[in-house]
Amino acid sequence: MEARLTQLLKGTLDMCLLATIAQRPCYGYEMVQRLAQQGLALVSEGSIYPLLSRLQQRGYLEGYLVPSTDGPPRKYYRLLPKGAEQLAEWQAEWGCFAQAVSQIVKGVPVDVDPQSAHPQPDLRPQ
Amino acid sequence: MLILNQPTRSQISDLSEACGRYWELRGIAQEHTNEMQLELEHHLFQAAMDGKSPETVVGLNPAAFAEAWAREMHPQALRGGALLLPGLVYALSVICTTALVEPLLAHTSFFTLTLFTAFMLGGWGVAALLLPLAGFLAVRMRTRTKRSMLLTTVFVLGALVARLAGMRVNWSMTLLSWNWPLTFLLAVLAVGLASLECWRQASHERASSSRWGKLWRSVLTLAGNVVLFDLFLGVSSVIVFNVCALACRAL
Repeated sequence: MEARLTQLLKGTLDMCLLATIAQRPCYGYEMVQRLAQQGLALVSEGSIYPLLSRLQQRGYLEGYLVPSTDGPPRKYYRLLPKGAEQLAEWQAEWGCFAQAVSQIVKGVPVDVDPQSAHPQPDLRPQ
Repeated sequence: MLILNQPTRSQISDLSEACGRYWELRGIAQEHTNEMQLELEHHLFQAAMDGKSPETVVGLNPAAFAEAWAREMHPQALRGGALLLPGLVYALSVICTTALVEPLLAHTSFFTLTLFTAFMLGGWGVAALLLPLAGFLAVRMRTRTKRSMLLTTVFVLGALVARLAGMRVNWSMTLLSWNWPLTFLLAVLAVGLASLECWRQASHERASSSRWGKLWRSVLTLAGNVVLFDLFLGVSSVIVFNVCALACRAL
């Protein structure tokens, strides 16, 4: 169960991070906490950093150091306009995908072309 | 929130230092390496204060975590070679100072580089470069003592296996021998490379005042390390040779 959730999270973590940062700028540990509060507990918390670096390299995010009262400066991340555009695109994509998966999983019937439909086997007792 | 004890603090700093060294060797720019290390250390400290173990941050394989992060930073293999420059500077400086002092003490006009000196220099160089990577073991071995014991055991076992396999080494064997003029030439080369290395270290600083401060610190650190290493080499040579001589006599 846990391995399955990890796999599901793997493909969507970059989008979740972008959406978290879009709410307000935050640093790595804070992001993990906010994701956990929303019900997404990461198996390896550090896995966000390679993704943050990737998002930063693509110009979606910007990192900046802020002096901290309890230790060395913290690296905060904020969303850039390119990141906001990408997030909007990913949100639309996710909406369609989640809706489709949800319909399939719940077994919601869809209209099918009767000619292309596969013939149903007759399961009645002979 | 917990107050962290010393073993946990050293576990965290060893782990982040191992990652930092790994990123340096992979060829990630120094300023990025420092920032990444700072970020990781900060996360590890906060997690530990909330009662979480380092495994929850870096997983059971910290080297894989470091590699995953390194891949996203577009490393350049050539940049990793920049670490060879300080090694070369140290090796040349130690050889030059030894080559200047030894003929004076031995009342000779030439210097001989023995296998023992070469082994000590090479061994310390490799150890200084790779030992921080032992911090990756911090996830499985929490205390520094245990990790040191493991490394010592591996080294001793390696030496024993080599000995049992019939390997014999003549430590006083002369590898190279040269006169004063070449020593001075090497000293000039060492000073030139040392200046280059100190300038390289200081160039990362943005403000002019901190750049000069960093430059002076680098020069003093280099000079201090070379003097300390020379003393250590001299003392350890005397001790090792006397111990070997005693052991031979006893046998």
